[in-house]
Order: sequence, then C-alpha cells, then structure tokens
Amino acid sequence: MLDVMEKIELKRIKEFDLPSGVLAAAASADGGQVVVGCMQGVYLLDLASGQYELLNRHESYVSSVAWCGDHTVVSAGYDGVVCWFDVEKRLVTRRQQVHKFWSWDMALSPDRTRLASVTGQYLAGGYKYEPQIEQEPSLRVLSAETGDLIRSLPHVPSVQAVAISPDSRFVAAGNLMGEVRIYDMDNGELVTKWTTADFTSWGIIKSHSYLGGIFSMRFSPSGDHLLLAGMGPMRDPMAGNGKQLWQRWGWMGESPSLLDQTHAGEAGEGLMEVLAVHADASHFLMGGRLRGGDWNAALFDHASGNRVASLKTGYRVTDAEYFGDGKQLLLAGAKGQPKKKKDGKFNDFGRVEIYEF
Amino acid sequence: MHRRLFLQGGMAAGVASTGSFSGLFSVPAIADVAKRSNKKCILLWLCGAPSQFETWDPKPGTETGGPFGAISTNVPGTNVSSLMPRCATIMDKLAVIRSMKTQPGEHFQGIDVLTRGDKPRPPFTRPILGSVIAEQLGQLDSPVPQFVLLDPCPEGNEFKQFKAGNWAGWLGAEYGPVRAGGDYSIPNINRLEEVSEVDHADREALRQFLSQKYENDQRSDAAASHNAAFNRVKGLMSCAPLFDLNRLPEADRQRYGAGAFAQHALQARHLIENGSTFVMVANGMQWDNHVFQHEMHQMLVPELDNVLYQLIQDLEQREMLQDTLVIAMGEFGRTPWLNEARGRDHYPNAWSMAMAGGGIAGGVVHGATDDLGFEVIDGKVDNRNLFATIFKALGVDPYQEYDLPGLPTFRRVEEKAEPILEILV
Repeated sequence: MLDVMEKIELKRIKEFDLPSGVLAAAASADGGQVVVGCMQGVYLLDLASGQYELLNRHESYVSSVAWCGDHTVVSAGYDGVVCWFDVEKRLVTRRQQVHKFWSWDMALSPDRTRLASVTGQYLAGGYKYEPQIEQEPSLRVLSAETGDLIRSLPHVPSVQAVAISPDSRFVAAGNLMGEVRIYDMDNGELVTKWTTADFTSWGIIKSHSYLGGIFSMRFSPSGDHLLLAGMGPMRDPMAGNGKQLWQRWGWMGESPSLLDQTHAGEAGEGLMEVLAVHADASHFLMGGRLRGGDWNAALFDHASGNRVASLKTGYRVTDAEYFGDGKQLLLAGAKGQPKKKKDGKFNDFGRVEIYEF
Repeated sequence: MHRRLFLQGGMAAGVASTGSFSGLFSVPAIADVAKRSNKKCILLWLCGAPSQFETWDPKPGTETGGPFGAISTNVPGTNVSSLMPRCATIMDKLAVIRSMKTQPGEHFQGIDVLTRGDKPRPPFTRPILGSVIAEQLGQLDSPVPQFVLLDPCPEGNEFKQFKAGNWAGWLGAEYGPVRAGGDYSIPNINRLEEVSEVDHADREALRQFLSQKYENDQRSDAAASHNAAFNRVKGLMSCAPLFDLNRLPEADRQRYGAGAFAQHALQARHLIENGSTFVMVANGMQWDNHVFQHEMHQMLVPELDNVLYQLIQDLEQREMLQDTLVIAMGEFGRTPWLNEARGRDHYPNAWSMAMAGGGIAGGVVHGATDDLGFEVIDGKVDNRNLFATIFKALGVDPYQEYDLPGLPTFRRVEEKAEPILEILV
C-alpha cells in the first residue's frame, strides 16, 4: 500500500518475491541487477525479467551484500564469513573467516578499496546483564581487493551497525548500548566516541537484560554528520513497540552533539534497521518494521528533518539503497515466515521492490 | 470460611497456615522412606519458554533452523545447538526430551500445567511441584526453608500474575515457597543490634509460651497460623546468610557467570547443600522472545549452558548429583517459523527440555521431531508423563490418591500416565 505525503511522491514500479527472508540487497552499477542476501543464500535478481538465481550460500543467514566491482559481489553472514563471488564466472573467488561470531553488518568504502565488518555476541557481563567485554575484535577492516586484514579495532559487543565516510577514511560502528566509535582507518586511531541511551532498552517487565541498540548508521554526503537508526526504549523490550527513531549527530567538533532526531508526531512504533542517504543530500530514508502507526519506511528532508514521504510496505524493511542516478529506490525485506508448507514448499517470504520518486 | 475457599488455599496466601491436608493425604510409611532418601531438586524455570531449535533440538541448515549451528556432544550421534558448548561435554550426564507435546499455548496456563503437572480441576488447587516435593521429601523441623523460589525479577507479565497466586494448593501455605533473590531480599531478617541474643531468645520463649497456651485453650486456627509464621521467620533468621549472595565464594560466583539467573542458580546449589529440598530459579519471563529471538537467545542460551554445566559438575564433585534432580524447562517451546519481528512465538506442539542427576539416566535423548521441528514423530511426552517421571525419579509415588467424602478422587498424576522409563535409572 502506498501512502503519499505532500512533498515527494513515491511510486512502486517493480516488485519481486524471493524464497526466504531478505536481509540485504544492493543494485549493480548499471541498475539492471540486484544482489540479494537472504536467510538461505545469496541470489542474483534480474530486474528486467524478474528471474533470480542462487549464487552462493553461507553457513547461516546472509547479513550484508555489496558490489565490489562490476562483476564481483561480496557478502557477509552470520557465519562470520566474508565471501567474494565472481558473477561472470559464477565462482566463489575467496571465502574468509573474519569473525568467530556473526558479521552483523558490513560496509564497503565508496572508493571500493576497503570493507568493514562488525561482530560481537551479547553475553552477560554483570548482574543486570551488562554486556561482557569483547571476545574478539568487534570491528575488522579488510582490503576489498585482496581480503587482507588491515585493521582490528575494539568496541563493546554486540556491534550491530557500521558505516564508512564518503571520503573512505573513517569508519563508524554502533552497538547494543548505543555507543558509537569512529576510527580513522588510515592509522587505526579512535577519533571520537559517544553514547546515546535513546536506542537501548533494559527490560523492566519481562526480563532484566538489554535489548535494541543502533541497527543502522550512515554518514551524510558531506561526511560531517552521522545518522543513526533503531528503536526508542521500551519498558517491555519483548513488545517491540519502541518509537521509530533516527538521530543525526555532528561528530567532527570538540565533542559530538545531537543535531536532530525523529520529530514529534512523525513516528510510530517498531524497530528501524535501515538508513539510506541520497547522494545529493536532499533526503534520507529510514525503514524497518511497523509495530504501531501508519508507516514503516519514510523519507526525511535532510536539512529540516521533516518527514516528506512515507510507505506502509506490509513487510519488514531490512535494506534500502538509492540507485539509477538517484532516481530510484530499492527496498528489500522479509514477511513473516509461512507456518506450513504448500505443495511441498514454503511460500516465498522475501521481498524486493523498486520505487521511483 | 467456606470449604471451597479453604480447599483452594485462599486462607493461606502469603501467610503460613496450619490449614493443611497433608496429614490426611500422605501415606506416612512412604513419606518417611522418601525423606530418608535425601532426594532434592533444583528447577531451572526458563519462564517465557526457550526455543528448542537454539537449545536441545537444533535443525541447522533447514528453513526453520535459525542462524545458529549444531555441535556434536560426548554422546555419539547427539547434537545440540552451537550455543551450548559446555553442555555438549557433559551430555553423558544429561537426559534430553525432544518430544514434549502439551496443550496450553498461553503463558499463564502453560506455567500452571508445567509447574503443577496438570490443568486446573476446581475446587482443588493442585500444589506446585516444589510444594509436593517439600511436603513429601522435606524436613519439617529444619530451620532452612524447604521450598525456595529465587527470582530476582519482580515483574514478568503472566508469570507475575502466577506468582501472586496460590502455589501450595491443598497442601497449605506452609508448603509454599519462601521467595528471595534480587529485589526480593528478605527484609528485617537480621536480629536488631540493640537486642542481645539472650534477650531475643527470652522474648521468643515468652511469646511462644503465651501464644501456644492461647492456641490450646481456644483451639484457635488463627493462633496456630500465627505460631507457624513465627516459627518460619525464626528459621529464616537463623539461616539468613544462605540468602546473601555476597557471602558466596567469589570464585564460584565468577564460574557461574555474572547474570542474575546464574548467580541465583549458584545460590540454589548453596541452599540445597545446606538443607533446602526444592529450589526453583527463575528470572522473570526472559525467554519470551517474540521479537529479537536470536539476539536474545545468543545471550540467554550460553548463560543456561554454563549454569547447567557448573551446577552438574559441582553436584557431582560433592557427591550430591545422584540424589539431586536438576530440571531445566519452560512452559512450552517456540514456533519453527519466524514472525515478521524476527521472533519465534509460543509452540506447545513439539518442544524440548532437559534433566540430570537424582534418579535420571544420563546420555539419553528421548523422542524426536520431524526434520523441520513441526511435529513430534517419536516418543510423545505430555505434562503427566513428565511429572510421573519426575516423581518416580525422586522416589515419590506418582499415583497416590487423595480422597475426601463427596469430592472427586485426585491422583498426584492423573490417568496413571506412564513415566519415561528410558530416562529413569
């Protein structure tokens, strides 16, 4: 269902179902194909024909995908592996165990030279279930070309979101507890860090433990601002009814400062797990799950922070990307898994949609 | 008081009562034998209901298996979730039931059935497992509480509602739990400093003499209840250190893990070592992961894995394992399918639980589910089978009858449901 706001009109022009839930998607440079990371593997989707093909599998869910070159797809998964795949030769060219635990998120630098992947298992480290210190470096930076490890950088698990600055120099990583760390990838130095408590819940009603945190982050096109997304605190984290929340932080000054966040009256309830920023800095998208309210993906004016368009997609949005010279928007996600098989198979519950605006 | 209210234990809520039918119902010869057997029980109550896929019945690589893998154990051919590496090394001491199939699909009813053994049958309120074990196996003259509930989370939605209800049922409130842990530190348990030990003892002797005289002269149930409460408090005062987490050895506390559940599991071991008969450990309803299933289970399962491992190793080293039954279970399992909020919902149709020690054979996996975990395909076990097994393991007659004139006959386990012989020693 499409709900059009006054400033930007979004029109769905294509839609595709995939066999399992989609957790990541990325369009090719020519806009003709989309590589899709699903619970059950990496698929290549042809946007013209709607045909898709299984390229590769991980041992677990695929959490991130990116086009590393015109013919190379790189994927990361909950098996902690980063995998390079040559689309022309239909061949895995490298498979690298980068983490012992999940790769929660992976980012490719805009110059396509570096990959950053974040990990970390949330384990009880205190009576109130404060997270344990990391068992392995939470942030790894790799050469996108060779897979060589460039940096291993510390954080506090679980580190669930990562982003690389437009100049391909800085990497930002956000965790369960709302702590953001920004490192200079050239020298591995910690440039700044701060914590926002606005994305993390400590359960009062059902469980005394932490839940939530930062689920997506993106730099602004100018690089001086960092957008964060997730869900506001809840008394009962198991309800999943926190406020749909984004925050914009300035990080380059003396101390990081909160510049803006979801405006009053513009948010419903549900976990927001994806951000995408338009290259011309006119607006950005935040998407996720609808728990309460009337949208689960929306565009926000970058300067004012006002919501300028919204969608109620009918599925949980897990990834988004502007492509086609910035004139099209790719949304990907997952519906609830079917409860039984029909004719020997489960109905498709992955989803990819293309919008024009 | 109306007989029905009395039978439902309405008189007893929160206060020790002498309105117990235990003398009427129990068979002294059997009870005495059982008490001499020194059997005890720790119930790790995984309230909210853990996922069988992420614990005892992994289905890696399938559409329903979730993101975690499976690992082999020290019992050839038996795998558990990769989140349970420690239990994998002591699988020969564990009995796992992979074929639980029960009825209730909502928490309150599930908790009721899986802690009492059967669904409600008014006008009786069936006593909870801990109350039965405390009554059958406990030492009534012990100052140490025989049934303890350690639950640091005062909330818990339906579990909170359940906790506020009548636990001991027809046995009477003296068999209800002493509740402690976290926010439930027992207040005013220590003798005031300005009252000397001798003075305190003198005051208690005088109080006891006068109230006992009143109870005898007036044949007063109220006075009897009052006296029972005082005796219980007196017992608690004498064993206050047992409830102080800070007195537990630091090395043990680190071994068990920092979380509240782990700390109270250690305290359960300590209480059992020092005379309690049944200790139930819970932590709110933390397993009810309708959202963030995998994000929560990645933390909860390793904690459970380590707690079970440490507990079983400790009991074995103390030569207590053969007499102490350890049970780890919730009120049902979780759905094979993931919902849109990346959670698993309630699923009583096919789920798993584990036991070890006291009367239970290790290294046994009973029952099986299909490839995707939708249905039980072998060795179905319901709540009655489970309770018959638990009672048998502890040396308590599962089929003891309770007869009162004009009221239906009750059995500890109804319909003569069979125990799981395969997992009994």
